[in-house]
Order: sequence, then C-alpha cells, then structure tokens
Amino acid sequence: MSGKTCSSNSVIQAQKLVDQLRVEADMERMKISLTAADLVRYCQEQRRHDPLLAGIAASSNPFKDKKSCVLL
Amino acid sequence: MRSPRVPEMATQEVQPNETLTHLKTESDTLKTKLEEERAKLHDVELHQVAEKVDGLGQFIMKTRRTLKGHGNKVLCMDWCKDKRRIVSSSQDGKVIVWDAFTTNKEHAVTMPCTWVMACAYAPSGCAVACGGLDNKCSVYPLSLDKNENLAAKKKSVAMHTNYLSACSFTNSDMQILTSSGDGTCALWDVESGQLLQSFHGHAADVLCLDLAPSETGNTFVSGGCDKKANVWDMRSGQCIQSFETHESDINSVRYYPSGDAFASGSDDATCRLYDLRADREVAIYSKESIIFGVSSVDFSLSGRLLFGGYNDYTINVWDVLKGTRVSILFGHENRVSTLRVSPDGTAFCTGSWDHTLRVWA
Repeated sequence: MSGKTCSSNSVIQAQKLVDQLRVEADMERMKISLTAADLVRYCQEQRRHDPLLAGIAASSNPFKDKKSCVLL
Repeated sequence: MRSPRVPEMATQEVQPNETLTHLKTESDTLKTKLEEERAKLHDVELHQVAEKVDGLGQFIMKTRRTLKGHGNKVLCMDWCKDKRRIVSSSQDGKVIVWDAFTTNKEHAVTMPCTWVMACAYAPSGCAVACGGLDNKCSVYPLSLDKNENLAAKKKSVAMHTNYLSACSFTNSDMQILTSSGDGTCALWDVESGQLLQSFHGHAADVLCLDLAPSETGNTFVSGGCDKKANVWDMRSGQCIQSFETHESDINSVRYYPSGDAFASGSDDATCRLYDLRADREVAIYSKESIIFGVSSVDFSLSGRLLFGGYNDYTINVWDVLKGTRVSILFGHENRVSTLRVSPDGTAFCTGSWDHTLRVWA
C-alpha cells in the first residue's frame, strides 16, 4: 500500500511541475534587442535625476560635510 | 520500489507508473521548448545595445557616516521613506532605529531571539517589522515617547515553520510579505495576522524578496537556495516566471527601477540582470578576481549603477548597461551583509558583520 501512496505523491508533484511549465511556456516574450533598448532608454531619461550619477553639490547632500576638517 | 505482482493489483500498479513516465516526458518536452523560445529572442547582448551610451566618469564615494551600537553582526537594514531614518537588525537580537544624519539612536528593541535576519520600515514611518530565528515576523509601532517600552506593543503577524529570511511591507502598513527557510513566501494582513496568500515553488530555503515598483502591478521576485529566482503574482499565488542560471544560493534580488528587470546577487560571486519581458538573463556582472559571494544588491535611482555588497568586505559598483565595474569601495572590516540605496538616491547604506553600518555618498 505504501508503494501506491509514494507513486501517487510523485504523480501529483510531476503534474504540478507540468502545469507550472505550461504556464511559463505560454508566456509572450520579446526580443532582447527591443527590451534592452528600453532599459537603456530608461537609464538615459533618468540620468539627471540620479544624484549618485549626476553628482550633487556637497551643500545640498545632507550626508556630505559642508565644512572641511582641520587637523591640529 | 517494486510491489509483488498480484494479478488483480497489476492494472492499478501500472497506471501510476505510466502516468509518471508520461508526465516526465511532457515536462522534459516543455523545458526544452522553453529553452528554445528563450534562445530565439537572444538576438543581441545588452552591452552591445549600450555601446553608444557615454561611459561613466570616475566615482568617488566615501563613508560619510558610521553607525555604531550593535553588539554583533548586522544582518539587515532598511531606509525610512523620510530618507534619513534607518532600521537595522543584528545577530545580538537587537533592532535599532537610527537618524542617519546625526547618527543618533532613536529606538532600540530587544527581540526574544538572536539572529534577527530581517527588518523593514513601514511606508508611514510609524512602525518597523522584524524577525529571524523565532520563525515569525513581528511589527513594532514606533512611539514618539522615547521612554515607552516598544516591546509591549509588539504584534506577531507572520508564522513560518522555519527562520524568517526577509520581510517587506507592501504599499501600505496593512500588509507584509515574508520569505522563509521553510521554502515559502507569504502575504499577511498586519492587523489580524491572517495569511492572505502563500507562495509555493522553491525547492529549498527562500533567502530574499523584492516587491515590484508600484506602477508595474502586483508582482514580486524571490531568490533561494535552490539557485532559482521566481516571479510571483501576488493575487493568485502563481509563479509566473522562473530563472535558474546562478550556480549557487541567491542571497539578494532587487527590481530595476522601471520594473522591467531585476538583479540578483549570489554565493557564486556574480550579480546577474534578468529581463522580464525577454524572459531571460541579459547580463552577468563578474570578474575572475572576485571569488567571494554577493550578499546584497541595489540599484541607483536611474538603474545605471548596481551596488553589490560582498563577503570579501568590499562593495563593487557596476555599470549595469556596459557590464563593467566602475568602482570598488573599502571600509568594512568584515562581510557586507546588507545594502540599500536611500529612497531619494543620494546615498546608500551598508551593514556588516563588523557590527557597524556605513552610509556612503
């Protein structure tokens, strides 16, 4: 009897895998040449809004010190 | 496992085995078909498309603040939406809320367990969530009264059957998404503690998760010890896409700001970029000289830079489009375990096994 339970569990698992793969196989995909162009375009459009790229003045970045340290 | 051949049982025994073989053939066929479909779209590399883009200049980023106070390894941190407060959690069982501008500690909570592996700030800034070896995710409302005992107002929200590895509030303070060593992710209602949806599909511990930017809809990505990154539909619980190209545990996943891609960091010492619409990996960020695992990754605001915290104590900064390393940052004296860019992109914070957090800009 335990043989049958094991094999029916394997069947359930195998069926789940097949169902999952069917969902994934049905997906509509796009070519990388198109999607990559979109990624590049997004970066370029957002470039000037990116403080770590564009660099912002020390006076407006709360984490950058406004004064310099003097070693005595 | 073979059972004795009894005539009246013979028909019943043969059927499950036949079904199994049939299903195995079908799953193999589907996997091959998936690989073929994905390969058809691989008509160009990301860095080729990015050839005409200007290179990045030199990057000078330094530690601007060091947050000291944890008594053991810092395991996780998160920024508040106000861009100055930070919550961090540690192996010592403590969860601390800091003002990163002044480095002052504003709140501290001692958890009933050690190894608090996950913490998150609520969108309102009025609460934090955390958990770890206690297998739970608990929410602590933050009181304006510094003397109030935060532990008294603690609310237990999530219950897993193994450690909590990551947690994140959704768009509001009302729901929390969790991932666990028990191999599942789950969505919870904070007020009632009710399980709203569970996500099954990983074959081993789930180590990380990230929610898609709100404009792109109800999905999230998770990464696990099964080397897979899965994208999930939050409403149905269905895994809608799965990526398995890493060679070891995936420790961190983070969406590209537009929501069309996500990055991952792994114990295989690489970061990778996966394009969701092409349904495949489109870039690998690696160098022969980098042999230690990546613990955490995050993008700069425009998505051009990818920051990775590594187990060799460094932070590597990658040009996402060109695939090259832009900078390497030193400072921590032990593994970098967690890394997040601030909400307005002016800085990023790292947490380390050296007990400290650093803010870089």
